[in-house]
Amino acid sequence: MASCTYTVPDKNASGDNFYGAVICNQAYVDYFWNTYGFSGNKAYWDDGWGWDDCCNTSKPLARAFNGCYALTYSAQDYQNDSYSAAILNWGRRYVRENIDDLRSFCGDGTAIARSKGSGLVEVYLGFFYTKDVPGRAETLIHESRHQGGKPHDANFPAGSTFGGGKSGADSSWDYEGAWMYGALYLWWYYAAGARTTSALRERARQRGNVVIDNAFATHPGFSI
Amino acid sequence: MRGKSPDTPFLGGPDTLETEVVEHPFSFRGSEDKELNALIVEAVNRMGGTGEDAEGNYRRALDELGKRAAEAWKVVVAEYEALPEDQYLDRWSLVYLLSELRQPEAAEALNRIITSRIPAEKARGSHDASTVAEEVIIRTTAVEGVVRLSAAGVETARKILLRHASNRTFSIRRASVQGLLDTGEDTDKRELRAVLKERGEQSLLRIKRMDVREVPQAIGGRFVVHPDVKREAPPPDLGREEG
Repeated sequence: MASCTYTVPDKNASGDNFYGAVICNQAYVDYFWNTYGFSGNKAYWDDGWGWDDCCNTSKPLARAFNGCYALTYSAQDYQNDSYSAAILNWGRRYVRENIDDLRSFCGDGTAIARSKGSGLVEVYLGFFYTKDVPGRAETLIHESRHQGGKPHDANFPAGSTFGGGKSGADSSWDYEGAWMYGALYLWWYYAAGARTTSALRERARQRGNVVIDNAFATHPGFSI
Repeated sequence: MRGKSPDTPFLGGPDTLETEVVEHPFSFRGSEDKELNALIVEAVNRMGGTGEDAEGNYRRALDELGKRAAEAWKVVVAEYEALPEDQYLDRWSLVYLLSELRQPEAAEALNRIITSRIPAEKARGSHDASTVAEEVIIRTTAVEGVVRLSAAGVETARKILLRHASNRTFSIRRASVQGLLDTGEDTDKRELRAVLKERGEQSLLRIKRMDVREVPQAIGGRFVVHPDVKREAPPPDLGREEG
């Protein structure tokens, strides 16, 4: 068991500010809790993580719910989660079908999230406080891809911001790994994200481009 | 999918967390103009809005701040420089705001941000967390601000983009090259091609900005775990429940 502390602004550009008023509805709390792997994990979301204060967006659970809201509703036609649609539509379905056990931990600062297999994903402080709201949706999609059976299969290219030569990259865009899923989600969010601002969409573009530039052993040859 | 009981006694104890809430991340030590400071805070807060009216609210906040853009950009730069290094998102929000204000006088400040040294990676051993990536996102956003000025005909901005076509960081080089190709004059583009040829980096010219609909898509549904019973999501605009 670890104890951690965090200082969080009541408001900033993370996307959490105004979600508090949106997610604070029992219909959303029930849906997110039961759909995205929180159910059965009260112990991991209690003791300061927000289980008893799930509308408070300074706490991790509400910030996770905000990511779930973005994941669920960022397509204009969010009710269409067919796999023949864009990943902006079916990302939520892919997460729902691959993560059934989502737990929060302090972490040691070296990771945002880790996929442990058998539907278990751990999320750490950076998931709630370094990542903005669409970035959290991206992380859930990235980890779902690992749960779906796609590990990273290459080393980061020379000069990569993620550490040139280290393992953890995907070989190419066509490998359709976790980095491709995450970048493609951010790309669609930038291009067609609904119920958000141009600022958060631009942030998704910038993050997506850094992933495309640095997380593939062979650069895909395009950018957002 | 594993079955789980929510009532299973927990062995070992989970992690605990204490959060401290501050009003906003800025200090405004160099600005005593409370009205201007409030406009900056409001614009940054509205960047993170959600809902059908999110963009409208952000635009209104930006328009109000824009009326005082000639003073505001200096306060924004001072706040950026005053923020702790690890407040990546807050630093990013100020750089994006600077970009949105589109002040030609801010070109050199944006250049300083792009040029500033990127601190060593603090998340060594991780494949998904990278403080260097956060720093690069801040700088490529500053490049975008310079591109906007270049598009508005600011000559200094074009020179900055040409300079950063040789930046040591790949994403900054790529963004600068694309920005200059999109907004530069013919002489700038000729000079850019000469620089890239000299450095053996003509491949940067082949990285194209594309529409997401034109790139290979993920084929969803492959490698999926068996789907659980689908439950429909509630509508997105139920609003807050009181009581």
